[in-house]
Amino acid sequence: MAAGEEQSREYLQRHRLPELLHRLGALLLFHRPERPREFLIQVLERVKAGRRAEGEYPFLLDEANVDAMFSLLDVLGQGFIRPAQYREALKTLGLSTEDLELEDDDAITLDVFKEGMKKKMLESWSVY
Amino acid sequence: MAVLNFPLCPIYFQNMLEELLIHKPDDPIEFMINHLKQNNDDGNSVFLHPSKKNCFIFFPNVSTCIFFFSSPQAMWLCKHFNAIRVSQETLLFKEVLMQTEEAKAYKERNQGWILEGFPENQEQAWMLQSSGIFPRHVVMLYAPDTVLIERSGGKRLDPLTQEVFHTTFDWPSDPLVQERLVKPEDLSEQEVSKNLLEYHRNFPDIFHIYQKVLKSINADQPSVDVLSQALAFVQTRHRSAAPFTPRILFFGPPGSGKSLQAELIAQKYDVVNICCGQLLKEAVADNTKLGELVKPYIDNGYPVPDNLVLKLLTERLSALDCLTNGWVLSGFPRDVKQAEQLQKAQINANRVFFFNLPYESIMERLSQRRTDPVTGERYHTTLRPAPTPEIQARLRQNPKDEQGNIEKRLNIYYSHVKALEDFYQDAFYVNADQDPFVIFEFIESCIIKPLPCKNIRSL
Repeated sequence: MAAGEEQSREYLQRHRLPELLHRLGALLLFHRPERPREFLIQVLERVKAGRRAEGEYPFLLDEANVDAMFSLLDVLGQGFIRPAQYREALKTLGLSTEDLELEDDDAITLDVFKEGMKKKMLESWSVY
Repeated sequence: MAVLNFPLCPIYFQNMLEELLIHKPDDPIEFMINHLKQNNDDGNSVFLHPSKKNCFIFFPNVSTCIFFFSSPQAMWLCKHFNAIRVSQETLLFKEVLMQTEEAKAYKERNQGWILEGFPENQEQAWMLQSSGIFPRHVVMLYAPDTVLIERSGGKRLDPLTQEVFHTTFDWPSDPLVQERLVKPEDLSEQEVSKNLLEYHRNFPDIFHIYQKVLKSINADQPSVDVLSQALAFVQTRHRSAAPFTPRILFFGPPGSGKSLQAELIAQKYDVVNICCGQLLKEAVADNTKLGELVKPYIDNGYPVPDNLVLKLLTERLSALDCLTNGWVLSGFPRDVKQAEQLQKAQINANRVFFFNLPYESIMERLSQRRTDPVTGERYHTTLRPAPTPEIQARLRQNPKDEQGNIEKRLNIYYSHVKALEDFYQDAFYVNADQDPFVIFEFIESCIIKPLPCKNIRSL
């Protein structure tokens, strides 16, 4: 590979630009704003703000969505889900499942679920 | 640029990504925000974009594709080349229109075509390509958006002939036509800006596809100028890598610099330089058979008869070095009869130049010529004086450069030149009253570029 190409690829990896663009695209498609460019500007501003811990990152999922997700996973209405399901949920959302120290028997309640989700999403955005 | 395969990478992002990779800013987010702010092109102000890009694909056996913003251009070009004009409206909506019939018949007539307003985006261009239609020339007219919006306000349509006029720039002279003109329907400013926006979005891709055959012409000038530029472009042939042996003829009054230019070209491009007078003298000096026949004429100062000269020339020009490297000939033919004989002898030049020089300059250059009899070096009293007074003292003037003789030679030249100019229709005219290197560059450019084709069928 040419040196220039190497550099470019390395740059992309370092700043995680492909993922960022992916998220931006997802946000666009979800919200379908009238004025896409302005929307994108707002989103990026929010990312900047979140970075400085001044505001919230532009999460695609809000709390209601997380609740809904939990109830989808918890089919029987037991009030908790298994770690395996938790891991799957995280994977579906594209969040990392590596540093989850959970026993296979742990019961994940809604609160734990929400906390975990929030933490993970925050983590994933904070790289920017 | 590396292949960027991102699963979700629409056009917006493509530009941005390219910019990012070029600049590699340390804070990509900030950079992206600025980038987006700069290229704000959606809907919040009046977007003054070209409203209706009309494109012509002119098809002389293959094709020329021209994107125009005004149908009159298309019309004129069509009339000029006697080609068929096809525009999107005629094809799609007005099937019964005479022009559409013509366009459909173009294949049989082998006439070439001009396509207007099509393709409008990349997909259409690709479809065109896959159906085997590729333009030979693409003309893209551009103008600032304000100009276009203004112009579209004055646009008027003749419903009968589908001709387009303008209230300010192109008003028809026939009062009957004037009565009929109506304002086209799709012409509100909103509509126009929307079309322009669409156009600007699609245009870069099309540009990319037709890049090699495309020429942009500024449409913000009088339409005759635009037309002449477009015409000049459409008549050019594309440069190919085919080897080309130059066979060049130089015509011009004595003192116009023909032999100098010939020498420069011969040096640079390795072409054989043949000066007719020189050739004759060499023949005499070498005591060849032909030389002996020529000798009495030269010695007595009479012009050598045409057939002898022609024989000498054909012999020289059919020599191997002339055939392979090409030649540049000055000093022959001097009149149309000789030119015709040259043609009959199968010696055909592919570039012909006429040097133009006003009388005063000729006089100035010739009457001041001097030669040093000792070294043979040539000087000019004002333009290239001899270095030392010693040399200057012994300089001599060639009798043929005396005032009276110059005039005689000039008169002979002028009496024949008009007929020669008519005979060599595709000649180039050189302003010989300039610096030799400027002239040389001009001649060079004429030789290197393919000849523009006046008759489109020969493209």
